[in-house]
Amino acid sequence: MRSKMKRIAALGLAGIMIGSLAACGGSAGGGETQPAGAGTAAASDNKTEQSAGAQADNTGAGEAVTLKFSWWGNQNRHDYTQKILDKYTELHPNVTFEAMPSGWDGYFDKLSTQAASGSMPDIVQMDYLYITTYAKNNSLADMQPYIDNGTIDVSGMSEAVLNTGRIDDKLAGIVGSTGTLAVGYNPDVFKEAGLEEPNQSGDWTWDDFAAAAKKVKETTGKLGVTSTGVVDDTNLFNYWVRQHGEQLFADDNRSLGYKDDQIMVDYLNMWKDLMDAGAAANPDEYAQIQTLGQEAGPVVTGDAGMINENNNYASKMSSRNSNLKITTPPLNSTNTKAMWNKPGYFLCISETSKVKDEAAAFISWFLNSEEANDIMMAERGVPSLSNVREFLVNSGKMDQKQKEMFEYADMVLEFSGEAPAPDPIGIAEVGESFKNSAYKAFYGQISTEEAAAEFRKEADEILARNN
Amino acid sequence: MKSKKKRAVIKPADNVVAYLLMAPWLVGFIGMWLIPAVISIYYSFTDFNLLNTPKIIGLANYIRAFTQDKTFVQALKVTFSYVLILVPLRLAFALFVAMLLNKKHMCLGLYRTLYYVPSIIGGSIAVSVVWKQIFGNKGVFMTLLSVFGINQATSLLGNPKTALSVIILMGVWQFGSSMLIFLSALKQIPYSLYESAMVDGARPSYTFFRITLPMLTPTIFFNLILQIINGFRVFTESYVITDGGPLDSTLSYVLYLYRRAFTYFDMGYSCALAWILVAIIAVFTVIIFKTQKNWVYYESEEG
Repeated sequence: MRSKMKRIAALGLAGIMIGSLAACGGSAGGGETQPAGAGTAAASDNKTEQSAGAQADNTGAGEAVTLKFSWWGNQNRHDYTQKILDKYTELHPNVTFEAMPSGWDGYFDKLSTQAASGSMPDIVQMDYLYITTYAKNNSLADMQPYIDNGTIDVSGMSEAVLNTGRIDDKLAGIVGSTGTLAVGYNPDVFKEAGLEEPNQSGDWTWDDFAAAAKKVKETTGKLGVTSTGVVDDTNLFNYWVRQHGEQLFADDNRSLGYKDDQIMVDYLNMWKDLMDAGAAANPDEYAQIQTLGQEAGPVVTGDAGMINENNNYASKMSSRNSNLKITTPPLNSTNTKAMWNKPGYFLCISETSKVKDEAAAFISWFLNSEEANDIMMAERGVPSLSNVREFLVNSGKMDQKQKEMFEYADMVLEFSGEAPAPDPIGIAEVGESFKNSAYKAFYGQISTEEAAAEFRKEADEILARNN
Repeated sequence: MKSKKKRAVIKPADNVVAYLLMAPWLVGFIGMWLIPAVISIYYSFTDFNLLNTPKIIGLANYIRAFTQDKTFVQALKVTFSYVLILVPLRLAFALFVAMLLNKKHMCLGLYRTLYYVPSIIGGSIAVSVVWKQIFGNKGVFMTLLSVFGINQATSLLGNPKTALSVIILMGVWQFGSSMLIFLSALKQIPYSLYESAMVDGARPSYTFFRITLPMLTPTIFFNLILQIINGFRVFTESYVITDGGPLDSTLSYVLYLYRRAFTYFDMGYSCALAWILVAIIAVFTVIIFKTQKNWVYYESEEG
């Protein structure tokens, strides 16, 4: 008898464990579909309500509304953005805000869940990586009507920059700032290695870059380049592909755009060569560097020469090391206009928002107004609107590194062409595949040729499945 | 007895009270577990991507997992190696420490607490970050090795061949809860058995294998099931320490299905993966249950 009891108890316990597994597996898949599931129904409800809401909005201009606004960033950004929101409420007492700030990590996990449950914030700060995904799934409202009716003022923005937010004839987001690729470097390390600083006149090539990295290693024993994101995402590789006169993704986004795998082979060979020489951080060293956080990275502390980054690098790091400088990424002669103005962030209105008019009015003010930009001070990158850039330059409040960032933005126009289309759906998976193929080559498990072929096979499969 | 039972009619009012008392748990169970579980079964047959309206695609997700998905196979490999190496190691270690602590020492309570601490904090993000620092490039471990003249090109975490071992080591280190269960079981073994063994002049190793271990088999059985189920659910370590890398060598199953759902917007497929995992664990549990009569000893049974 007793043993039977024990067995039943044990079986019951095991049952509970499996049960809690399914629930907990939920934290990864099963369970969290619940709010999502409840949400699909709610989403369709919202759509009907929302059209009713939009009509209601037009009737009363001074009606009290609450705008939900979510963005990612660090504490500094959270603090000053809140000040901007307070300022807007001061000017428009009928508008209050529900701020939803968050760090970059987890921001899009949260947003996808909100979108699935039909409770996306009215105004969403959106990244170039994901805007296509959200736009194609009809989570973002078309903003063209608000430009047409004068609610949103984009007169200071070039057509090419504005069009980066256009997906399938729909303006899914207004770009708030632009950035360009850059190489950040530490002049002290260059001096120590007996190197001249990279010249800004546009004839510094990938060979110069590699030679500089190796020279730093040979003369000082320090890392030549710490290569953030060289293969972690496809940004720099995209630039490399453009330099060869090709594009990374095909026009229909269903396959890779370049035909010759040699392009990727050359790219990987260059980095592998630098890693083997100890001049570039290998994946292992890079993982360690990542844990330090960028402010304590080797270039900042003077333990490495260069880093592949964006044009806000020196400005961003100026509180830690005010000597850092930026220059163009290495150029080549095949396509001298391979750079492009990369959207730093978009502001979007969610399709489910019931206060789209007010949201549009706020976005216009947030991007254009002197009040907002006086507080923001280009922390979100070089503003996309020329009137704002002028205002900031003339305000006299910018520090040296911010000025250099603006000058750089003007300087690289000479090397910039038309921006590539927004990244296709499935870009996160493509990026992971790119990283894995490249790492296999860096670890010497497969040749760079095999890595390039493997990436093509996987990327084509992912793109075809998603687009 | 029997006639008495029949007469004790259960009044409906009693049931109401019972359900009321159960309500808090029931609400949680139905709302947080049952409904999501049912919905996720449904999603596993659809192309749901978190943002679209799900469309039923039959078994396509399951077929895709077993026929096309190399990463799925890799994640399975990693998780199986993790479980099959970790669980025996952790149980052996837990039993070893429990034996040490099952004696009369000074400050025994203190030791027990100290050894249990890793189990409480071990699964946390903070500890994962510490492990990352210890075993990473330029970490304490690498520095120690170089002090002894062993210069390594890559760190344990940076090498696809050794990265998983660090994660397993961290799992073994969290032996506390198994240890506590072993400890209480050890205390329940009748002292008379040891006494008679002593009288007969049995060696300690003999006593261990002939008395302690057989008497512990129900506990080992219980711990085994618990730990296997827990092992298959490993997530935090591989998410924080290595993020599945290098080269997917530490990509645990749950991390992979998390990525599928929230990074790749592949919720339907992710739900299918979740149910495949449930099936795998169910199979393991059933197998262990089936074998128990061959090796688990219950005192009350004859033999």
